[in-house]
Amino acid sequence: MLEIKNIEYSYKKEKQTYRYDFSLKAGEIIVISGVSGAGKSTLLDIIAGFLTANSGEIILDQVKLTNLAPEHRPISILFQDENLFEHLSVEKNLALAFSKAIIDKEKIAIALKNVGLVGYEKRWAKSLSGGQKQRVALARTLLRNTPILLLDEPFNALDKKTVKDMRLLVKNLVKQYKWHTIIVSHNIEDAAELNAKNYVMKNGILKKT
Amino acid sequence: MLLGRGILASEKRKIIMLIIALSISALMVFLFFSIINVGNIFVSNMATIKIDILQLILMSLMQASLSTILSLGAGIAIAWSLNRLDFFGKNLVVSLFATAIVAPSMVVAFGLISVWGRAGWIAQLFEFFNWEWQFSIFGLGGILFAHTILNGAFAAHILLARIDAIPARKLKTAQSLALTPFKRFILLDWAAISGALPALGSIIFLLAFTSFPIVLMLGGGVANQTLEVAIYSAVRLSFDLDLAVRLSIIQLVLCMVIILPAIISNSYLANAGVNYHYKWRQKGLAQFAQISILFVAILAFALPLLAILVDGIAGGILDTLSRPSFWQASLTSIIIGSLSAVLTLFLAVLIATGRAAFSNGILKAILGLPIFAYLVIPAVVLSLGFYLFVKNIGISPTKAAPFVLIIANSLLALPFSIAILAPAIETINQRYNKLTRSLNLSSLMRWRMVEYPLIGREIGIVLALAFCFSLGDLGIISLFGTSEFNTLPYAMYQSLGTYRNNDAAVIAAFMLILCLVVFWFLPMIFRKLSNARN
Repeated sequence: MLEIKNIEYSYKKEKQTYRYDFSLKAGEIIVISGVSGAGKSTLLDIIAGFLTANSGEIILDQVKLTNLAPEHRPISILFQDENLFEHLSVEKNLALAFSKAIIDKEKIAIALKNVGLVGYEKRWAKSLSGGQKQRVALARTLLRNTPILLLDEPFNALDKKTVKDMRLLVKNLVKQYKWHTIIVSHNIEDAAELNAKNYVMKNGILKKT
Repeated sequence: MLLGRGILASEKRKIIMLIIALSISALMVFLFFSIINVGNIFVSNMATIKIDILQLILMSLMQASLSTILSLGAGIAIAWSLNRLDFFGKNLVVSLFATAIVAPSMVVAFGLISVWGRAGWIAQLFEFFNWEWQFSIFGLGGILFAHTILNGAFAAHILLARIDAIPARKLKTAQSLALTPFKRFILLDWAAISGALPALGSIIFLLAFTSFPIVLMLGGGVANQTLEVAIYSAVRLSFDLDLAVRLSIIQLVLCMVIILPAIISNSYLANAGVNYHYKWRQKGLAQFAQISILFVAILAFALPLLAILVDGIAGGILDTLSRPSFWQASLTSIIIGSLSAVLTLFLAVLIATGRAAFSNGILKAILGLPIFAYLVIPAVVLSLGFYLFVKNIGISPTKAAPFVLIIANSLLALPFSIAILAPAIETINQRYNKLTRSLNLSSLMRWRMVEYPLIGREIGIVLALAFCFSLGDLGIISLFGTSEFNTLPYAMYQSLGTYRNNDAAVIAAFMLILCLVVFWFLPMIFRKLSNARN
């Protein structure tokens, strides 16, 4: 269970305070929508540890994450772009998931198979399409297998067919690996397609719809 | 019809820009042939040359190679440390390193002597503890030290901008992957800076290869002489024009060969332009290394500047200030610097807007020719070209001197000025070109309403940079200066030559203060002025 307990955050020089209070079970997906600047991505930054909340707690299976540095949190985060190092091959991008220098080629091949990119190991990241890049980033998430997955508008830069494929892929992976998944999205179809709970950010408060 | 006027204005503008770019290039070619022409006349005298040219070339190349390696190493380390650390006064430190590009190198060399020389601060400190001070600031070590301090700070400023421009999302991805400091450097920082290294390396190599005041003041004799200093010595000291011409041609050819990799690699120095809003600090050994590097860098760069100010104030300031010759040299420097700055801005805006407006690669390249002029033709060679040119057409070099100084100093500042203006003007052109043309804005209106308000700060930087370049020039004035017509650097050099070190200290301090004030305040004033208009 991932619990976001009474989190409050306000940016310097801004009067608005953002408030978040909810929980989700393993294998559950939450989609958060709202207008630009409503504070959706701010929540992901707080959970990932890039921003420090003014108050509140983040608890995963009764373990407090609130005071951990971003690199020590059991979290994978994906943005709409900049998820890969474009000057590296797919294999080397995936190898970053391992803490040791040894590249486990077998595991990489399985992860790539899971995201539908068999044989892409030696391809340069920069030569991939937007959808393929997101799949590689998801494959790295698979290799890391952290219990929390945060997706910040991950389907924005993709065409309709790719979005559909990616939704299906995310849905299946979350179900299989039991990740606690939070997705920030502008697209109202995402929640329905992913069988997710729908939340909205309005006037600085996150509410279930 | 309305659109037609806009296009006409735009086409007229392009033609004027092309003519100016071609005129500058033609002037350069003309000066080059003035030198070659004289060189051919003296070809038969080859046997009479008493200088070991091969040794000179090898010395120049070795000194420049070592300077480049050390400067790039120092620049990368300083940029890395500055990017990671956050502390009170960081902006001041970044600004301090930015002044490396405008601080007159002869002033910095003077400051280094004050700190590291035999009677310098460090030597006095050693004496206090009864220790023996054996380090000599003169010779190859001193030249490398000065070049590393100046060019390392310059490199740090350029590279920091690129590291700071790494997108926040990429940083967050790397941090959530728990990359080690080394992996972070290789995957993020190196990827960001490596593209700029060929161009930056070439520029630093050329700056070191053509370095004049530092080698002149710290070289410590013929053994460490570079081509640039040898040309000056041939003209001014041994009056051997034949040798000067021959050395100039060698210098030109070598500079062209050196600048080629930068042009071919197509690397660029402009900021990547992405705003950086996320900081990822590091702790432990990495942080200790960053603090240590920055401490040493600040000490190495700021101490000579501080020494100049202290020596200047302590060195009989009133006596020097009471001399009319000091004020005459100051007035000459300020007038020439101001006019040179205005001319530089005019040329840089025209060339940068022209390059942004042209889509044709060849025309773009023609407009880019003046950018490489200085990089290929160093100050002393340019000065010699002008010197021979005015002599050939029967004008006294003394009479032509003010005009030559304004034009030559402006040409020297041009590549750096265009590098500052071009990215901003390119962006404006991409965003507003269609809109301004559909609104049928005239060239003047477009400049007043669109371009000027958006590039106010850059205009200020260009004016400050060109002014400071001109103020610190010793290369051009070295051939044109006389007792009647001299500038501050020339007066300082003459003072040093006649062992009037106190006078030199006051002049150095005055030049440094003038440069810092202009470099810090002009961009600020212009940004405020353009914002007011905006």
